[in-house]
Amino acid sequence: MKTQAPIAVHQQGNQKKGEHSRRDATGQQATRLLFRVISRVQPYLYVLPAVLCIAFWLYWPLLQTFRLSFFEWNLLPTTPQKFVGLLNYERILGLPDMRTAIGNSLIYMLGILPFSLILPLTIAIGTERLGRRAKNTYRMLIFFPMMMAPVVVSVVWNWMLHPLNGIVNQALRQGFHLAEPLRFLSDERFALWTILIITGWKIIGFSTLIISSALTGINKDYYEAAMIDRASRWQTIRYITLPLLSPTLIFILMLSILFSSEWSFAYINVLTQGGPSNATLNIYYLLWVYGFKSFSIGWGSAAAVLFFLVFGLIAGLLTKLSNRYSFYDE
Amino acid sequence: MNYRKLTLRSLTKHAVMLALSLFAVFPFYWMIISSFRTEAEMYSSALWPKHWTWDNYADVWRMIPMLDMLGNSTAMSVAQTFFQLGTAILAAYAFSRWTFPGSRVLFLMFALTWLIPFQVTMIPNYVTISAWGWRNTLQGLIAPNLVSAFAIISMTQSFKAFPKGITEAALLDGASSWSILWRMYVPNMKASIASLGILLFINSWNEYFWPLLLTNKLENTVIQIGLQMFMSSDGNAWGPLMAAAVITSVPILAVYLMLQRQIVDSFVKMGLK
Repeated sequence: MKTQAPIAVHQQGNQKKGEHSRRDATGQQATRLLFRVISRVQPYLYVLPAVLCIAFWLYWPLLQTFRLSFFEWNLLPTTPQKFVGLLNYERILGLPDMRTAIGNSLIYMLGILPFSLILPLTIAIGTERLGRRAKNTYRMLIFFPMMMAPVVVSVVWNWMLHPLNGIVNQALRQGFHLAEPLRFLSDERFALWTILIITGWKIIGFSTLIISSALTGINKDYYEAAMIDRASRWQTIRYITLPLLSPTLIFILMLSILFSSEWSFAYINVLTQGGPSNATLNIYYLLWVYGFKSFSIGWGSAAAVLFFLVFGLIAGLLTKLSNRYSFYDE
Repeated sequence: MNYRKLTLRSLTKHAVMLALSLFAVFPFYWMIISSFRTEAEMYSSALWPKHWTWDNYADVWRMIPMLDMLGNSTAMSVAQTFFQLGTAILAAYAFSRWTFPGSRVLFLMFALTWLIPFQVTMIPNYVTISAWGWRNTLQGLIAPNLVSAFAIISMTQSFKAFPKGITEAALLDGASSWSILWRMYVPNMKASIASLGILLFINSWNEYFWPLLLTNKLENTVIQIGLQMFMSSDGNAWGPLMAAAVITSVPILAVYLMLQRQIVDSFVKMGLK
């Protein structure tokens, strides 16, 4: 049985070779068959635990959410789920909260771009030629907020932005002689922007790192060729750097669009709970409210399905765009 | 010092980068400093307090069950990291060694998970865990996070770099695929497995949504939720609150200070896929 093992195991790597070695092998047919079966099945055995978990905790619930979106239910196991057809979808589209949440989410989406795309791109290109030591130190420092827990970040910013005793308002008072402290988190005019800045502040380092390392990956020959052709710095950036970075930039754009509302969720939940008067509410926070504050499971599920489809569509389009317009360095 | 480099332009760059670095790190400096302030100096805007005290740490230790919550966080993070690494090693081995019918579809199944946000699956998962009576339990916190799609994908990429020749040689020596995995792949990939493990640990430690849903008692929850509950109940106890925030961050701070290069590098790899 031992002597058969190499041949049998080898078959899974190359089926045709297996055919050949079958004629050479002189062992019992049954053992060989067993090994063939095992070698065919074994990749599946290795992926099985992961596949089962993902299917059970991700894809199955996804289907469940889809099903629940046609029912009226309040999350209590004792209350029956009532089938209502498309009513949930009709309802949520007319809700004023929903419109506010979608509008705010668009603001989060666009507002995050300076932090996730524009600023990091500028920093990455600007600091490309700094010394290696200095560059690594800056990277390490700027990246730091990314590692920290959202709750810790919220607690710290809440302390710094406190209207009366926070360091920011103290500095503003001394620097600009403001009569009234700025209520960053409880004033309707500022709350959304404050959440946005905290979300952006956390993401800058991550984007900068990604773009910098994509920059390092660009073949230096292009720059030399451009120098020989006497291209200006700006022309070099415009016609060499940006096109070669485009896959990375589109990737970050996609992350920003899909996840800006997700990233800000923790800060909203800890700092404003969607308020003041829905000023910071976004779509994911609204799902949270429907699911676990007002227990309107049908509404929450219907909204979840809609957002999932829309985001899926956006991701698909951006991937297509990326494949078509990205300029890859082959 | 290299004087040639000290042009006006590079000075401006350094100034901008220093300002940004300061902006990134200052809140944490302020958190740490505030946690050591005495009550009298709590509202001072001095960057360096005159008197330092451990009182805030003692207070928060007395006010909320810190030890329980730290224990829960540690248990949850260690268990999740362990299982996520284990399942990723197995799956990545299959994906990187063989092309089998359905392997593409299965791999895609993992690659597409990032399109499914937590909020879309949270209600059914909550219903499942409640039905099993696992609310406010460790196993309830861990169960939905046994597998990380990100871990599988990045591990598959690392495993693909493993030289095929070595595998073939081992096969000829009669080694089974199982022993090839544990005797050759894993020992040789120790470095990337370790840095992935660190990322997974940090990720679990900072986990927020699921514990928020599942736990409502301080003794049964993780440190992140404990910190949030403490903030909403004693909103003005700034000293103890900052002390709690520092304690919550200690594992991350320690890991980051020791291994920042590896962490930053593996994060970049994750972003570039």
